[in-house]
Amino acid sequence: MTYLFIILYAITLIYFALSERVKKFVWLLSIQGFILFGVVFFSLHTLEIFDFLFILIETILVKSLIVPLFLNKVRKHNHLKREHEPSVPVFYSIIVVVVTLIMSFILCNHLNNNQIHTKYFTVSFASIIFGIYFIIIHKNIFSHVVGYLIIENGIFLLSLAVGSEMPMMVNLAILLDVLMGVLVLGVFINQIGDTFKSVEIDQLSKLKD
Amino acid sequence: MFILFILEAIIISLSIFFTQNKMVTFILSSIFLISLFVITGFAYIHIEEINSLYFKFDHLGVLLTFVLVILSISTFYHSKLYLQRYLFTAKQEAIYYASLIMLITAMMSAYFSENIAVMWVSIEATTLFVSILIFHERTKDSLEAAWKYLFVSSFGVALAFIGILFLSITASSNGITDLNLHHLLLVSKLMSPIWLKMAFLFVLTGFSAKMGLFPLHTVAVDAHTVAPPPISAFISTTLMNVGFLGIFRIFTIIAQTDVILWAQNVLLIVGVLSIFMSAIQLFRIKHYKRMFAFSSLEHMGIVALGLGIGGLGYYAAILHIVFHSFVKAGLFYQIGQVHQFFKSYWIKNTAGYFKLNPIGGLSIILGLISILAIPPSGLFISEFLTFKAMFIQHHYYIAIFVMILLTVIIFSFSKNIFHLLYFKDENEINKNAITVNPYETISQFILFGLVIYLGINPPLFFTDLINAAITVLK
Amino acid sequence: MISFLLIIISSVFFVGILTKVKAKIAARKMPSVLQPIYDIIRLFNKGAIYSPITSVIFKMAPIIYFSSILLAAFFIPIGSQRAILSFDGDFVFFAYLLAIGKFMMIIAAMDTGSSFEGMGANREALYSMLVEPAFFILAGSVALFTNNISFSDLFLHLNLDNNLSYIIGIAAIYVLVYIAMVENSRMPIDDPKTHLELTMVHEVMVLDNSGFDLALIHIATWLKFAIYGSLISNFIIHTVWTWYWQIIVFFAIQLSFSAIIGILEAFRARNKLEKNPQWIIMLSAISVVVFLTALIITQKIILN
Repeated sequence: MTYLFIILYAITLIYFALSERVKKFVWLLSIQGFILFGVVFFSLHTLEIFDFLFILIETILVKSLIVPLFLNKVRKHNHLKREHEPSVPVFYSIIVVVVTLIMSFILCNHLNNNQIHTKYFTVSFASIIFGIYFIIIHKNIFSHVVGYLIIENGIFLLSLAVGSEMPMMVNLAILLDVLMGVLVLGVFINQIGDTFKSVEIDQLSKLKD
Repeated sequence: MFILFILEAIIISLSIFFTQNKMVTFILSSIFLISLFVITGFAYIHIEEINSLYFKFDHLGVLLTFVLVILSISTFYHSKLYLQRYLFTAKQEAIYYASLIMLITAMMSAYFSENIAVMWVSIEATTLFVSILIFHERTKDSLEAAWKYLFVSSFGVALAFIGILFLSITASSNGITDLNLHHLLLVSKLMSPIWLKMAFLFVLTGFSAKMGLFPLHTVAVDAHTVAPPPISAFISTTLMNVGFLGIFRIFTIIAQTDVILWAQNVLLIVGVLSIFMSAIQLFRIKHYKRMFAFSSLEHMGIVALGLGIGGLGYYAAILHIVFHSFVKAGLFYQIGQVHQFFKSYWIKNTAGYFKLNPIGGLSIILGLISILAIPPSGLFISEFLTFKAMFIQHHYYIAIFVMILLTVIIFSFSKNIFHLLYFKDENEINKNAITVNPYETISQFILFGLVIYLGINPPLFFTDLINAAITVLK
Repeated sequence: MISFLLIIISSVFFVGILTKVKAKIAARKMPSVLQPIYDIIRLFNKGAIYSPITSVIFKMAPIIYFSSILLAAFFIPIGSQRAILSFDGDFVFFAYLLAIGKFMMIIAAMDTGSSFEGMGANREALYSMLVEPAFFILAGSVALFTNNISFSDLFLHLNLDNNLSYIIGIAAIYVLVYIAMVENSRMPIDDPKTHLELTMVHEVMVLDNSGFDLALIHIATWLKFAIYGSLISNFIIHTVWTWYWQIIVFFAIQLSFSAIIGILEAFRARNKLEKNPQWIIMLSAISVVVFLTALIITQKIILN
């Protein structure tokens, strides 16, 4: 059953490469939160009620509800409709995503290691690489925040791959990172939108020699 | 005890933030400074003890905390002068002091944390507070710098987290699940090398955003350019120490295994590249604070070289980082004074500073001598030890290349500073219009003097601390 | 034999139902279901006009196109009825039969010497090229999953039981529906109703055909629809059911397939032309994911 959710997560990564509207990015992030909850729910067998509640809060409440709602508010405040022409055409982005997925699956096939659970490691690795690629090709700081959240989702899956006990400290750290990062970044985006009247990154290159 | 300190700092900073009153701010900051002394004394007395489950007062942490305390005093003093001079509102002052107090607390918790995950959380918290402080002046440039700093720093810290996860993969296969440093040191010889290498790479890249080393140094440079001068002084010294500590902890784990040779090669490459980038960029710089920021890049490169050489280099690296903190802070404070006269940090707008403010000019010359590692500066001692270690280990070519680069840096740096001091300008600035209290320069003389004293005749407890800090690397 | 007859029968009604659904949604008066048959009969009674610039290729092409598709229909099984012809690796042969037909149409369009038709041929060639990996990877992953490489054996042994193979089934149906729409030049790739110069893709290729040739081309389109519909129905029909139950489900699936295409055509607008390639490549991306799923199920990739 976990494989099902992992494959669904891979499909959401492909949709990230395909879509151009900012609203769709936020929607896809919310769906990824639900998928992550599904992955955790079906993979941890021995779970106390407190840990389970905490993971429920972290994935569904934070990743699927609070963060997308907040990002939607920021999007409406800055009137962002669609991403103006990413610097790499969508055609090649899709090819890059597919190649990344294939590479990560082949890599994990060679990595026959019983220290890590490779079924999570594949998509987490692909997610991190794709998040970095996403930040590079988009020129809009809102999309940069979305790319950062994709990397954070990948790190969450990586922490699942590490051990089956899922220490609380690691989860707490990721939660803090996501929440604080997104809130503060969102506030800054609003400030930048108000001051510079646009959120393109070309405006943000005054600090040079 | 340490948890109490953190709680007290949070309470103080929240109360400063909510009651936006200058008198309350002053009183509460003084209380905070006193408690800072208390906790440092406590830490020195109880050295090498575990406290509050996740914190340990180890030698390197105590040493860096001493540096932090001295610099906190001077930062608070200069912040008060800065805020008075430029007439900020009570609310902005409150935000400034509250963030500064939280920043100092987060840095102390990063210095003293025994658990790597807690250290990571503290470093993430420092990013947050530094961005608030960079944005203090609310100009367009500071907004841009704050955004870039926040984003790239968060990204770097996320990369470091991936490295920590790799470390915990190999640790958990040997039975350790809680990421405490002394537990990790116990099993370090059993860890698989490939995971250690990956962890080290990711942690080095991630924390290079904090320390100001080669891959992600650019945001630190931008941040130093637009932050208020006391904050620039603070973050270009103590924050880089935090980054150094993060990398150092992983390095101590690796030092027990065979991966250390590979890790030292990586550090050598990174160090040389940092110095190289700094040398190239210093030709084109026309802004004083940016110049100092690139000079920090160069000195961090020398520290990385010291770590990468080993043996005598370890001692030299820690010495260098302590001295560099003091000297760089002094330079930044003095530049704040220069700004009073010329109202700008651009080189072309400044001229003939020595005539206008002789004491300030004297302190700049002293700072120039110190930062360029000319004797009797303490930085000379540490760089000398680094090069000696390089020659002992037969890294001749690297040593010669770095010496050439350092000469180039000496040239560019001195050229700009001499322009500031002695250049004769047509529009003479009216000397009597601006009066500067000469007592403000005392702090810089104290700092430079401290560096000279510690370099030539270090007291016993200082060398003992450094030696104890590097015994774990042998 | 039965499967071939079923395909022929369902192809007759396919376009009629599609047009009916579209008209119903648009609140127009619905034409009769047999209206396409009446159109064909009318076209058979007309004579064909050939431009003097064209050569023998232009006259040959519609016949080769039609016969290749008819031959391709020989290979499709339905449920437990075997196909007329089958051999190992016949799905590759099937794909290339369809490609020969399309190739003849393309060079016939270029044969007319009209730059207009050449443009349409150009686009048609691009879209076919982009959708080809999707079909092959999909067929390949189903073949990997069932360990057989002929259409008949493949669908005979296909059983989707555990929930991961449901992904293969659902994704395969989704991709096949869209491949059918790309190959038959329907929305959102190409609007069959538009006659604006810059936006035609398939219509402009058959602009110069008339009479008997045009009739053959229309029949070929229906046959292609029916072929893809039967491929889709194979994913749903289990071979353990009784034969009359299978035939009923087959017709139901064909009906719903045409209704779905009608609904999709009524509600979607045509893509911007520059977005078409990226949309088609997305189909290949999804079929790659299906391939990875098949690799995981058959344990060719070891994941713990």
